[in-house]
Amino acid sequence: MADKYLIEPDIGFIKELERLGGDTLKKCFQCATCSVACPISPETKPFPRKEMIAASWGLKDRLVGNADVWLCHNCGDCTTLCPRGAKPGDVLGAVRSYAVAEYATPKWLGRMVNDPKMLPVLFLSPAVLFLVLGFILKIVGVNWLNFSPGGEEIVHGNFFNTWLVDLIFVPTAAWVVAIFGLGLYRFLDDIHQNALLEGKTDKEKIDGKDFLMALWRVLPTILKHKKFSECGENEGRATSHLMVFYSFIGLFIVTNCFFFSLYILQVHGPYSQMCAVKWLANISGIVLVIGGCLMIKDRLSKTDEVSTYKDWYLLGMVLGVGLTGMLTEMTRLGGLAGPSYFIYFVHLMFVFNLFAFLPFSKLAHLVYRTVAMTYAEYAGRK
Amino acid sequence: MDKKYGVYICTGCGIGDALDMKELCDVPEEEGFPVKTHPFLCGKEGVELLKTDIKDGTNTLLIGACSRRVNFDVFRFDGCIVDRVNLREQVVWSHPRSEFPALTEEQKGDEEHFDRVQMLAEDYLKMGMAKVGKIDLPEPYKPDTFTRKILVIGGGITGISAAIDAAKAGYEVTIVEKEAHIGGYAAKVRKQLPIEDPYEELIPPVIQAKIDELEKYSDITVRTNTVVARIAGQPGEFTVTLKKPGEKIEFDVPFPLPEEMKLDENGKDLDVEKQHEVYLEYNKGRADILTIDPSGEAFGAVILAAGWRPYEPEGDEFAHLGLGSLPDVVTNCQFEEMAANGKIMRPSDGREAKSVVFVQSPGKGDDDSDFEYAGSVTSLVSLKQAKYVREDYEDGKAYIFYQHMRTPGLAENFYKSIQQDEGIFLTKGEVVSVSKNGEGMIVEADNTLLGEKISVKADMVVLATGMVPATVDDPVVNLAYRQGPSFRDIGLFDGFCDSNFICFPYETQRTGIYAAGGIRRSMTMEESIEDATGAALKAIQCIESVDRGVSVHPRSGDMSFPDFFFQRCTQCKRCTDECPFGALDDDEKGTPKPNPARCRRCGTCMGACPERIIGFADYNIDSVGSMVKAVGVPSEDDYDEPPFRILGLVCENDAYPALDMAGLNRLSFSADVRFIPVRCLGSVNVIWIKDALSQGMDGVFLLGCKHGDDYQCHFVKGSELADVRMKKIGEALTSLALEEERVTQFEVAIDDCHKLPKMINDFVEEVEGLGPNPFKGF
Repeated sequence: MADKYLIEPDIGFIKELERLGGDTLKKCFQCATCSVACPISPETKPFPRKEMIAASWGLKDRLVGNADVWLCHNCGDCTTLCPRGAKPGDVLGAVRSYAVAEYATPKWLGRMVNDPKMLPVLFLSPAVLFLVLGFILKIVGVNWLNFSPGGEEIVHGNFFNTWLVDLIFVPTAAWVVAIFGLGLYRFLDDIHQNALLEGKTDKEKIDGKDFLMALWRVLPTILKHKKFSECGENEGRATSHLMVFYSFIGLFIVTNCFFFSLYILQVHGPYSQMCAVKWLANISGIVLVIGGCLMIKDRLSKTDEVSTYKDWYLLGMVLGVGLTGMLTEMTRLGGLAGPSYFIYFVHLMFVFNLFAFLPFSKLAHLVYRTVAMTYAEYAGRK
Repeated sequence: MDKKYGVYICTGCGIGDALDMKELCDVPEEEGFPVKTHPFLCGKEGVELLKTDIKDGTNTLLIGACSRRVNFDVFRFDGCIVDRVNLREQVVWSHPRSEFPALTEEQKGDEEHFDRVQMLAEDYLKMGMAKVGKIDLPEPYKPDTFTRKILVIGGGITGISAAIDAAKAGYEVTIVEKEAHIGGYAAKVRKQLPIEDPYEELIPPVIQAKIDELEKYSDITVRTNTVVARIAGQPGEFTVTLKKPGEKIEFDVPFPLPEEMKLDENGKDLDVEKQHEVYLEYNKGRADILTIDPSGEAFGAVILAAGWRPYEPEGDEFAHLGLGSLPDVVTNCQFEEMAANGKIMRPSDGREAKSVVFVQSPGKGDDDSDFEYAGSVTSLVSLKQAKYVREDYEDGKAYIFYQHMRTPGLAENFYKSIQQDEGIFLTKGEVVSVSKNGEGMIVEADNTLLGEKISVKADMVVLATGMVPATVDDPVVNLAYRQGPSFRDIGLFDGFCDSNFICFPYETQRTGIYAAGGIRRSMTMEESIEDATGAALKAIQCIESVDRGVSVHPRSGDMSFPDFFFQRCTQCKRCTDECPFGALDDDEKGTPKPNPARCRRCGTCMGACPERIIGFADYNIDSVGSMVKAVGVPSEDDYDEPPFRILGLVCENDAYPALDMAGLNRLSFSADVRFIPVRCLGSVNVIWIKDALSQGMDGVFLLGCKHGDDYQCHFVKGSELADVRMKKIGEALTSLALEEERVTQFEVAIDDCHKLPKMINDFVEEVEGLGPNPFKGF
């Protein structure tokens, strides 16, 4: 018999999944209630039944590079209906968490992001970065760091110069893109191989153009959260997720606009509250805070679902970014210079944490799930 | 006894409204039977009325009211013959006036109209009167000698548990064990499945604690290195000869002649004398079954707990699984032995066996059945042994491939806890091959939950082979019964000593011998311990029933027993052969020797006897025959178009209650059928059918239990024997120019009441299609 049929369970992998929130995975007795209950599972080779047995057999290869675990939106219908309390939703969540760590390099950083003990180190790392870089520049005569910015108006750019901020953030963005690029290269190959093995695709190879077309077709689904809102058990979660999702898009647009006005038009902030972009910024900020709070409320009220560190980490970051952002603005408008500069500093640390470690945190799902959904569309998975 | 009759008719429950009471009362009065009616006979006043009459000397009561299946305790009067006429369920409730209108004043007395329901009630009353005239009060049978001692065959966990249970209840027990020590298989395991809440973890073997408990009872005698040479006699007075295993003694039980030895060289049956000669030659040196061992021990009942042995594969039966060719492929019993002796090592090279595959089903083609003699116990043992692998090796892996994972009841908790182990992997699947792979092996499986084909590496492979009951190899009980030393093999239970009676799990086909544990079914120790209690209680019930002279089961408490009028016996041996329970022995001439305590009172012998010399005090050829003759068969002399008359002989166990339930549910059916309850269809003697047809009844049907592989007959063979007899009677009918279709047999279960009306009506219609019985009116 060919080697491809040989199965070698990895007990360490099982234990790791159990640690990541899938501690119920061994309870599954393969009744397939989950696959029947799931509103978004495809009709052929539906998840999560097959993922459940692969998990209980410790078949890492069948799970980590499996696009299906990303098609799952963790709505929890399966978990609610599971007669054995195996919580397939949480098991898939654990698999995704494992997959994120698997595809993001360097791995030691991934381990740190998912380790609560490392949180202070990670969180304070941007502070160190800012201060060290700021002081070095000060020594060479570039004064981009000013601890006692004066003047009538509170201008955060006087505190941390925007050049300093972007000197750090622009390379960080590039590094995030690079890490994702490396990860996705392997991820795509793995999910294709897995789909070929499990007979989930009708395509031999991945064609770049067709794949991008598939992405185009899948975009409305993502933008409208169509799949997410098919979930029965967690209907409210689609709304809060949608709020956070669009607020990030809004803030992304705002950031780009201001980046443009600052470096191209040479107009620096703070900008007028009457400006349309500012409106978008304020609305997005408020929606982000509300969405973040709703998500936390959802998690707290769902006692039958497991919430692990990775979940709380991401929610904390999201809410932290929103809250500190809004507070920075409010204290600025309120004329509280000291607190405003401090909160701005904290805000920068949140933003750094959220984005620099994006490929290692749960937020990486925005990339993997998009790719997986695109692949499913591309492969004609129904 | 001098009978003083009294007929009592209840007018309650709609009886009085539906029937013409005056005309009904005229029926017994014309015969000179005093009649009384009461609106509520089962009430306090009604019962007082009966009691007063009894005080005044009435001793034979015929009560026309509800079915005899209800209020039986209300209408039980010691020392009186009481019979019931079922006017409620089987007359008024199942024949509503809306469908069977009463006659108007003008219609009465003309030759055109008749009231079918009234006729039905009057016939049943006449039949009841005929019956009470022919029956007597049964008197209990008491054996000459009697002992309460219980013999337990087998000193394993079942036998020990049964002995303790019986001793606790105050009975003397002797355990015989063929090995040198008691304990059996239970003493040879590393760990055992949980036996109490929460049923999650493996536990150390409980057998030593059981043995310690056993030793506290002075009433329990243990005899090791001992087997049963023969058990003679009957419950309450079994004479048991014990011997050392392998010994040849005079009281070794004789075996019946094999079929081929009953023939001469031309293939013809030898005559009786010649057969007996050959039989004596065949059993030379062994005393006849009727010779009682003077030094035998007396026992009242026997608990058979002889257990099981591991299945022995035949030839290369499991060659595709490597058994025989690969030294690291073993059976579950061999694996258990290794585990009990220490860490699990590969038999081939003594290296650590860290990856072990457990195979539940031999899996060949479409056949997904488990190994023979497997059961839920083999599933559970695989789970247990998988745990051994994990106990011995921190990085050990145990795979279980199953077609059926059976973990009944709370064993499910154990399954769940085993499932939790990270190193135990379960999947449904068909194991197709086990082959050598370097120093280890590769196990290939198809159609698994993980995909069409998978293969895993294995250091050892364990096959979940089954538990073969000891009765497959040897009769064990060695009964000195004419039907042979073993339980009659009815070809349904693979040698398991099981009755397959859902209702009577411990009862074997031999009264007084109760099976428990692995001899009855592949089972776990927990189940065996529970089984032991059941069998011990049955043994006690049997002893106490014999002491009172009543039947044990299923007719518990029945005091009657078959009586033989030997002067007319022709030694045809049909009763001896056909008794489903081997209750009858016979002497060298073939004259039956009844053993009433072995008898279950089904009456199969009575149905079989061509000379009609067998009967019970309250149920015999004459009593039923008189009922048949009491049925009024109207002819053209009476009416222009006389109604048909059909006889239904109905088994009391399932069919009669089903009929009552039909009435209870107000399901109606033809009023031209007359039912007579019978103890079992096996007790139906063809003479009743001949009587019915010769007096002009148009058809006869038997209503009884299912027979065949899924038989439901309470007496195992009764309905099947009746079926054979009905087929034979068909030929006799043809010779009388009667259509074979006039006699038939239907199978019903107790819950088939909704099917009965159609069954009955269809038959009536069929008989009507044949036309009236030409003998009518003769």
